[in-house]
Amino acid sequence: MRRGEKRGPGPGAGRGARRAPGRRGLPSTVVGIVLLAVMLFPVYWMVNTSLQPAGGIVRGDWFPAAPDLGGYATALRDQGGHLVTSLVVSLGSVALSLGLAAPAAYGLTLLRARRIRLVLLGVLVTQMVPGIVVADTLYGAYAELGLLNSSPGLVLADSTAGVPFAIVVLHTFMRTIPREIVEAARMDGAGRLRVFRSVVLPLSVNALVTAGVFTFLFTWGDFLFALTLTTSGPVRPITLGVYDYLGAHTGQWNAVMATAVLASVPAALLLVVAQRFVTSGATRGADR
Amino acid sequence: MRRARERPAAWLFVLPAAAYLLLFLGCPLVQNLVMSLRRYDATGFATGDAPFTGLRNHAAVLSSTLFSEAAVNTALFTAGSVLGQFTIGLALALFFQRRFPLAGPLRALLLLPWLLPLVVSGAIWRWMLDPDTGPVNALLRGLHLTSSGIPWLTGPTEALVSVIVVNIWVGVPFTTALLYGGLQDIPPHLYEAARLDGAGPVRILRHLTWPLLRPVARVVVLLGVVYTVKTADLILVLTGGGPAGATQTLATRAYELSFQRYEFGYGAVLGNVLIAVSTLFALLHLRRLRAGGGRAVSA
Amino acid sequence: MALVLAASGCAGGTGGGDDSDAEATSLTVLDYYTDAPEHQQWTETLASCGRRAGVRIEHTSVPPASLVPQVLRQASSHTLPDLLMLDNADLQQVARTGALAPLDTFGPLNGATKGATSGTASGIDTRDVTEGILSAGTYDGKVYGLAPYVSTVALFYNKDMLAEAGVAVPRTWDELRAAAARLTRPGRYGMAVDANATFEGTWQFLPFLWSNGGDESKLDTPEAAQALRLWVDLVKSGSMSASVLNWNQADVHDQFAAGRTAMMINGPWRIPALKADEKLKWGVAPVPVPRAGQPPVTPLGGEVWTVPRSDSTARQKKAAQVLGCLNTPANTRALAAQHLTVPSRAGVAAEYAQANPSMSVFVDSVKDARVRTARLGVRWPQAATGIYTAIQSALTGRQTPEEALKDAQRIATGAGL
Repeated sequence: MRRGEKRGPGPGAGRGARRAPGRRGLPSTVVGIVLLAVMLFPVYWMVNTSLQPAGGIVRGDWFPAAPDLGGYATALRDQGGHLVTSLVVSLGSVALSLGLAAPAAYGLTLLRARRIRLVLLGVLVTQMVPGIVVADTLYGAYAELGLLNSSPGLVLADSTAGVPFAIVVLHTFMRTIPREIVEAARMDGAGRLRVFRSVVLPLSVNALVTAGVFTFLFTWGDFLFALTLTTSGPVRPITLGVYDYLGAHTGQWNAVMATAVLASVPAALLLVVAQRFVTSGATRGADR
Repeated sequence: MRRARERPAAWLFVLPAAAYLLLFLGCPLVQNLVMSLRRYDATGFATGDAPFTGLRNHAAVLSSTLFSEAAVNTALFTAGSVLGQFTIGLALALFFQRRFPLAGPLRALLLLPWLLPLVVSGAIWRWMLDPDTGPVNALLRGLHLTSSGIPWLTGPTEALVSVIVVNIWVGVPFTTALLYGGLQDIPPHLYEAARLDGAGPVRILRHLTWPLLRPVARVVVLLGVVYTVKTADLILVLTGGGPAGATQTLATRAYELSFQRYEFGYGAVLGNVLIAVSTLFALLHLRRLRAGGGRAVSA
Repeated sequence: MALVLAASGCAGGTGGGDDSDAEATSLTVLDYYTDAPEHQQWTETLASCGRRAGVRIEHTSVPPASLVPQVLRQASSHTLPDLLMLDNADLQQVARTGALAPLDTFGPLNGATKGATSGTASGIDTRDVTEGILSAGTYDGKVYGLAPYVSTVALFYNKDMLAEAGVAVPRTWDELRAAAARLTRPGRYGMAVDANATFEGTWQFLPFLWSNGGDESKLDTPEAAQALRLWVDLVKSGSMSASVLNWNQADVHDQFAAGRTAMMINGPWRIPALKADEKLKWGVAPVPVPRAGQPPVTPLGGEVWTVPRSDSTARQKKAAQVLGCLNTPANTRALAAQHLTVPSRAGVAAEYAQANPSMSVFVDSVKDARVRTARLGVRWPQAATGIYTAIQSALTGRQTPEEALKDAQRIATGAGL
């Protein structure tokens, strides 16, 4: 499906294609904004609470009349290190997932159609495996191999979401690369590996970014593996930090919500900076 | 015959990823089965001694009320979530098909709830639904709809409804995006033709949009089921499976048995059940795929 | 486990621990003292004992409810800390896995030499340690853990709120019911407990169960049902928030400190935090009993310190030295004073009660306090699981107290999951 890119992100392709935009659409804009406000109210509430002053039970005023950064100070003091852990693990997972998926996606384009379908079905099936089952069994193996409480261990486990997703996204794109381009490079005597490196990869930057962005978000948001594969020590992702806070500090909602805001920054940031990739990934990624 | 010569090279590209997927997603299936046939408890795990017990774990777990309760909860949670996500997602997708200023940015912003870490969503809602100090009950009290407040997370029925509502909130953006994509694939000239024939919006929806959207809708529902059945994290954060087990699903019970009570053998039994259910729906999905010629892989 | 891996052909190789017996220079310590002042105080105490033993201390705390699952996980992966704190009720269960070293490994226990009392030489002094806490630290005839101080729970009340409502401190269940109802206002509850689906919830319920003659080895009795009904009534009448189902002891404290509840069940370790709030006028009384004049039977709290087995005997020895240091009479006294708990040595405790009259409620209660594992030993966790399950079922109204306790008994005996 290359719907987004070909027709442009605008909604013009739809039913109202011939109607002029502008004032006639304004009531819809108002409705749209109201709908969005309802959907995003919880997010507002998170930010609002994070700015309430500390001390005792946060009372939940509807507006932070006197914004107080105390919650953030507490959150950063307690959870700053966990943010770094999450960043390291997420970037590691992006590297591993793309490193495995990009060659695989390219390799698939070289196979016969029937085999491609078979492999893709296999990839799809792997996405059905419940995370708790993976965690259950990895736990035992990790204990033996000394991978518990380690960033590499988390990277390997978290990539179980990223690798299949990236294969699907990258393959979908790579099979649209015109054969002639690849063939031309082959004529010039380039080997498969060189064609992949200097022709296919540069052409696939957009798809790589999309796959990377989502792999990053999957890993950043992972909770189950963080919960089960870390038992002690300094390697604790931020999601676990939020959970620990919930277990011990439900009186201090401002600090809990400040941590939640900090944990949401990548998602919000990517939505703003890489909006195009996020929306195209969401329409394409039959994942999560 | 050039292709035949090139095939080994192609497989070399695929191999690392295939090996990884086999090791990290294929093996757990096998190992889970092995574990479910052994007695893995706290002592056994510490000493490494886990005797083979055959189907005794299965008998113990599957006959307990804890299992039947979790199975019913899982069914209700999955059905409620998927139904809610689909209905609201379809409504939003149809709405965003209209042409109006700011439609693009609004549609993108709508994705935010889906992109947030699940723990964050869970934490926000746990605070919003707090019976005494949360804003939801504050609003209801302000509107004089309730005096004492609704026990969103502490009443057994209410808690199950709450986790479903929150999961719908999390899933609507993604469902909307998928269905919106499906709607965009319907050729505009069909609408023109229908309108020329004098069809109203309701008839267009029933006789044109819906039939053409159905393949995508089917994928959305099937995938929704597969992903919802195995949900553990959101529930763990929101209610921890409580109160009194009212929101325990197969996945959260599996977590509890394995990682809280340290009965890995019992946990693995529930893992097997989850795998079986997932496989069932995956097969349904694959059959559709075959019928639809592989289209949905990239849908 | 290696067998499983081999059998399924999925992974190979066995992880080897490092058995470096080199000089130990630092020790890892794990406990559940997550609250800010308490955590800091323990970090300092551990550091000073570490200095005496010549090691640096890396101190980590996790929330109470996740300590035991984590410890069991660490035991299986051989990643236990060098020095481990456990709630005394959990010790036997952990000791049974073979993860802990008996303390007599490090020298005779009662043969206290002068060196032992100062905590510098081998051999840990256990003389005069209250029998209850020593038995809780014992599994299969061997002492595995020692607690510097013990504690129990009591009723905390907000003096201003009681005065304003004209309510006397409740001593019986009937008085508690009436007082809680009269103290309830919009935005405020009369009473709060921890009815969490964890062992903390069980722990808070025990004073009610035991004072009424209930017994953990037989849960489906009228005595137990009456106790559970008291909690159910408090929630049903609106005197207690239904949120008690989700609150842990820290949450209960937060509610009390914020003036959202007039009374609560909690332990003396909350007192430093309560004292920090000057506006709050609070008092403490024994847990109310079924009939006037009865002594309350409360659970004996207190955390025992243990030395997990490891590949390094040098580290274990150092850990045992730090453990001995924490438990010297002087240190038990200092620690008890710091955390407002009761020293675990009878002699020290008596002297301590004279010097700190405000602690007398707890010093007295501790004398009659019961050890949770006394009757059931390693089967206690099952019974505790049954009890909190019953509390949750009854408070949500899914089952009557009688039905809920019947199921609890099945869980306790292992007949149900």
